[in-house]
Amino acid sequence: MKAKHQRLVLVILALVAIVAAGLIATWTLRNQANYFYLPEQMAAEPPAVGQAVRLGGMVQAGSITPQPDGITVKFVVTGNEASTVPVRYSGILPDLFVEGSGVVADGSLDADGVFQATNLLAKHDENYVPRELEGLEAHQPSDYADTTIGID
Amino acid sequence: MREALDHWDYVIAAYAIGLGALAILIAWSWQAMRRAEKRRDEVKRK
Amino acid sequence: MHIYANPKRFLSLAQWLTPLLFWSGLVLSLGAIVWGIINVAPDRLMGESVRILFIHVPAAWLGMGGWAGIAISSAVLLIWKHPLASIAARAIALPGMTFTAICLATGSIWGRPTWGTWWVWDGRLTSMLVLLFLYAGYIALAQATAREGGSVKIAAIFGIVGAINIPIINRSVVWWNSLHQPPSITAGGSSIDASYLWPLLAAVIGFSLLFGGIVLMRMRALIAEQQVEARLRRRALDDDAPVAARPMAESA
Repeated sequence: MKAKHQRLVLVILALVAIVAAGLIATWTLRNQANYFYLPEQMAAEPPAVGQAVRLGGMVQAGSITPQPDGITVKFVVTGNEASTVPVRYSGILPDLFVEGSGVVADGSLDADGVFQATNLLAKHDENYVPRELEGLEAHQPSDYADTTIGID
Repeated sequence: MREALDHWDYVIAAYAIGLGALAILIAWSWQAMRRAEKRRDEVKRK
Repeated sequence: MHIYANPKRFLSLAQWLTPLLFWSGLVLSLGAIVWGIINVAPDRLMGESVRILFIHVPAAWLGMGGWAGIAISSAVLLIWKHPLASIAARAIALPGMTFTAICLATGSIWGRPTWGTWWVWDGRLTSMLVLLFLYAGYIALAQATAREGGSVKIAAIFGIVGAINIPIINRSVVWWNSLHQPPSITAGGSSIDASYLWPLLAAVIGFSLLFGGIVLMRMRALIAEQQVEARLRRRALDDDAPVAARPMAESA
């Protein structure tokens, strides 16, 4: 075996080892590195009442209900499965917070199972669609724009 | 209550920072190349 | 592919390739950006801020592509000991770091009006920040070994080891729940409307050409510095050994 081939094999072996180590590390991190819990994850392992967690998912269509005080809203977060979590939040809403779109909420569960959010982040999906074309799309989050006007 | 931000401010800020950094990188790389090659030609000539 | 490979052939190639890549890249990327700012319709949800796409995505691609370039050059250096490989890796580092920083900065600015926050510690953002630190570490290491006369292998090994972060960045939005959205362009197709996709493609190609031009500039600078150093060292040796002195004309 020539020295050059030896080096080639060594470098390839080193690369394989590094990739494997990285994959194993990230695989074990799988659950720890999640930025938020989906509703079904929260249902499976409910956090303690008052424990600070993040909840993420889709805002259920038709679920945003502004409360009489003007700054509080209630809505329901859905995940990939049937389980849902009701959320209550008082404060300024991000512009992209609309029904049928993603949301990530900081907060904690209260005794009644309602998630008391202290902060809301809007989560955009991977679709980029011009406004004029939105009617042609299968699902149209800003169809719900009418319902958000009430809480402006 | 909505934030109702003007997105144009953010677009302008993003491009100003991005293109500004790029301009500095280009100017610096160009100048470094010019200076190094000039110096090489000078040393060569001696 | 010899250890004393003459850079002359590379230099004569770089001589005309540098301005070609630079100017074509500049025209294409600026054209795509102007098109993206003036001529593209606002997104259904993000509105006008969708225009940041045309600098954010090329910057992200080149930040990651730059490290892939460093890793490949490092492997070539370790296996074939090609002298241009270490120069290429060093030349890529700073442009790669700049584009990573541009990606992080524009992403942060984009996040404020859309997500409602400048920064979150989710998988995508954190792994991209790690890439920025890796670049800083690589540059410091390559500079130290060049200055102190250490082996170029040290930086090359670091370049290969750091490459593990690239697939992690790429997969971070798939493996973990993150605030950043999943990839829009996958093997199965694109979920970006054509009116955004074409200028985005032009911007990616344009910035890539520009990146190539900048890397060539930096390679030429590094080569010229090495040539000066080699010449001065040879001259100093000649001065130190007057007994064996040959006619000066020979060393010129």
